[in-house]
Amino acid sequence: MNMNGEDPAERPQEIRNIINGLERYNPEAAGVLEAYLAQQCEEKFCDCNANRALLKLYQLNPDRIKDEAITNILVKALTQFPSPQFDCALHLLSPAQTNPSSKSELSEAVGHLRTLNLQLEGAQYARFWATLDSDDIYADLTTDIAGFEDMIRVRIAQLISQSYREINVSVLENWLGLDGAEEVTKFVVETCGWKVAEGVVQIPKNAENEAKKTEIREDVNIDMFSRVIKRSWEETA
Amino acid sequence: MSTFQNGMAPIRTMGDDSDVEEEALVNDYKEQVQYEDLDELEPAGLSMAQQTDDIQSRLAQAAQPLDFSAPLEAKFQSYDQYCSLFHFILNSEGPVDLEPPSYYWAWDVIDEFIYQFNSFSSYRARIARQANNEEEIQMLRENPNTWGCYSVLNVLYSLIQRSQISEQLGAMKRNEDPMAVAGDYGSKSLYRMLGYFSIIGLLRVHCLLGDFSLALKTLDDIELNKKAMFARVMAAHFTTYYYVGFSYMMMRRYSDAIRMFSHILIYVSRTKNFQKSAQYDSITKKNEQMYALIAICVAFSPTRLDDTVHTALREKYGDQLLKLQKGGPESLPIFEELFRTACPKFISPVPPNFDDPESNIDPVEHHLSIFMDEVKINMWNPTIKSYLRLYTTMDLNKLAGFLDVKDEELRAWLLVNKQRSKQVRWADNGLLEGELVNVSDLDYAMQGVSYRPVECTFTQADHVSQDLIHVSEAKVGRKLVDWYLRNLSRTYA
Repeated sequence: MNMNGEDPAERPQEIRNIINGLERYNPEAAGVLEAYLAQQCEEKFCDCNANRALLKLYQLNPDRIKDEAITNILVKALTQFPSPQFDCALHLLSPAQTNPSSKSELSEAVGHLRTLNLQLEGAQYARFWATLDSDDIYADLTTDIAGFEDMIRVRIAQLISQSYREINVSVLENWLGLDGAEEVTKFVVETCGWKVAEGVVQIPKNAENEAKKTEIREDVNIDMFSRVIKRSWEETA
Repeated sequence: MSTFQNGMAPIRTMGDDSDVEEEALVNDYKEQVQYEDLDELEPAGLSMAQQTDDIQSRLAQAAQPLDFSAPLEAKFQSYDQYCSLFHFILNSEGPVDLEPPSYYWAWDVIDEFIYQFNSFSSYRARIARQANNEEEIQMLRENPNTWGCYSVLNVLYSLIQRSQISEQLGAMKRNEDPMAVAGDYGSKSLYRMLGYFSIIGLLRVHCLLGDFSLALKTLDDIELNKKAMFARVMAAHFTTYYYVGFSYMMMRRYSDAIRMFSHILIYVSRTKNFQKSAQYDSITKKNEQMYALIAICVAFSPTRLDDTVHTALREKYGDQLLKLQKGGPESLPIFEELFRTACPKFISPVPPNFDDPESNIDPVEHHLSIFMDEVKINMWNPTIKSYLRLYTTMDLNKLAGFLDVKDEELRAWLLVNKQRSKQVRWADNGLLEGELVNVSDLDYAMQGVSYRPVECTFTQADHVSQDLIHVSEAKVGRKLVDWYLRNLSRTYA
C-alpha cells in the first residue's frame, strides 16, 4: 500500500525503465513521458510517479517546459485527494511558476488549480463545485482529462462512505455537484449501490464508518527481553 | 535487522519507546571511537611519507571545508578541482590505486562537495536578487554550468555505478558476499566508500530540489540499521536521518518522520559523552532543527514520544509546542517560524534570471507556502478532537453552536480530521513502502438522520434533519514490558 495513484498497474515497461534508471535525466525522455501523460488523461488512470519524472525533467531543462503538460499533471494529481500527490507535484515547479505575482499564464493556471486542491483536501466539496462552475478557465484546464468530474464525484462518494452511516440527500446533492434529489438518487443507487429512504441515503456498514471501540494492547515478543536474558546468562556463566 | 524491526517497528502499538536499537548502536559507536583513539597513537612516520605524495594531498584537500566567505573565484576554482579529481578517479584507465586517507574521508568529500554546490546555488540566487554586484553577475552569467545541477548529479551517479555499490548492498541484504559482485572498482575501499556516501549525497540533493519521494527512493538499497556503513561516521548517520525524516514529513508521513528523528536524537544524547567535541559541535545545529521538526510532526500527529526526546523538546520548544498543539490561526506563525529554522536550504537547479531580479523567489518560500497549505487545512483538528473526546454521541448543530461556525464548515472539519487520522506507515522493505494505518485513538462516524417530529405535524418542513456524531475512543491498555524491564535492571544493579 502506498499513496494513491503512485504506481499503477497500467504502467508499461518502457516507462518503468525510464523512471527507474538514469534515462529519467535524459531530456529526450520528456517526449515519451508527455505521450504517456496524454494516455493517462484519455484512459482515466493516474501515474503520479512517472509524471513527477516529467516535472523533474522540466525542472532541470526549463527550455523543454510545456505549460499544458504541467497543468494536466496537476489536474491528474488533483483527482487523488486526499493525498500528498498534488503537493509533491507543486514542489517540483519553480517558485516563479507557483507565485501569483509572476502574472504569467502558467502561474495563474497553477493558482486556480491550487484553489481547487485546497477545497478538495479541505473537504469543502460544495465549494469545490461552485468554484469549478464560476469561471470558464476551469473547463479549459480540465478539458483534456477524460471523466474529470465523474472521477471527483466517485472519490467524494468513497470518502463519504468512510465517515457516514446515513446522510441527507440535500447535503449530498451539494457535495456531489448534482442537480436535484433525483440525480442524487440515481447516482448513489446506480454507481455506489446505496439505498435511499425518505430523503436519507443509507450507506452500508464498513470498517471505517462504524467507529467501533478498540483496545490497544501491548505486543510482547522475546526480543524485548534479549538484553535481560543475555545479561543473566553472562552473569551466571 | 531483527533488533531494528523489533525495537522500532511501527507494526507495534502506538507510543512504543523501546530503546534496544539505540542502545546497541551506542555500544557499537563507543567501541569504534575507542579504536580511533588507538589509531592516532600509531607512529606518524607512514602518514608523513604519504603527505609528500601529490595525489594524497589532493584527496585530503577535497575533504577540506571551503571558507564560507571565500570569493567567487575560489568557488569556481574549487569546482574545477573537484571535477578534475573525480575525473581522475572515474576515468583513469582502470581503478586508481589509492587508499583513502581515513575511513571518514569519503564522507567528508561528498559532504563538502554537496555543501559547496548548495551554498553556491544559494549565493548565485542571492546575487541575482540583489542585482547590485555587476562584476559577479557578469562572471556568473558567463559560467552557467559551473556547479551545475547536471554535473553534480552526474558525479554522484557515476560514483554509484562505478563502485557497483547498489549490487554490493543487494548482495549483503541477501547475506551473500558483496565482493563477488563488486567488480574491479567496487572491491577497492576508495570506490566502495565514495559510492556508498554518494547514495546519501543523492538523498540530500533530491531533497534540496524538493523531490522528496525520489529522495527516499534513493535509499532503497541501504538498510537503516546498526550495521549500516554510515553509522560508523557520525555526521553521515546524522545527516541521513535528518533528510529521511524531513522527506517523510513533507509526504505527510508524520509518524515515520517522528520515528526517524527520535531514533537519531536518542542516539546523539547517548553518545554525547564520548563524542569528540569538534564533531559534536557541527551537529548541534541540526540537532536543534530536528527538535523543531519533531514539534511540527507531533502537532500534526499526536503521539507519545520517548522520554528523553520529550523532555528535551519541552525544554527547547515548550511554548511553541503548546501553541502548535492548540491549533487554530494563532498556530500558523509558529509553524512558519519552525519550518524556516529547520528546513534544508532549498535551491533551484537552474541559474537565476539575472535580467529580472524580482522573479527570483527564494525556493524556501516556495516550499514553505505549499507546506502551509496543508497546515491550514489541518489547523482545526486539535479543536475537533478536544470536543469529541468529551462525548460518545454529539449533535452536529450543537457542536457547531459551541464552536460558533456553520454546520457546513464543521462537516468539512470533521471530514478532514477523520481523513488525516490515516497515515501511510513504514513496515518493512523500502522507505517509500508502507501500510495505511489508523494513527488516532479517536474514531467517529456521522449519521445524518431525518425524522418527522410527532408534536409539530403542521409545520411546512415536515422532516427535521439532524446530524449525529458517534464517537469512540480507543482504550490504551497498560504497558508492562517497559516497567518490568526497568525494575528488573534495578535489581541487577
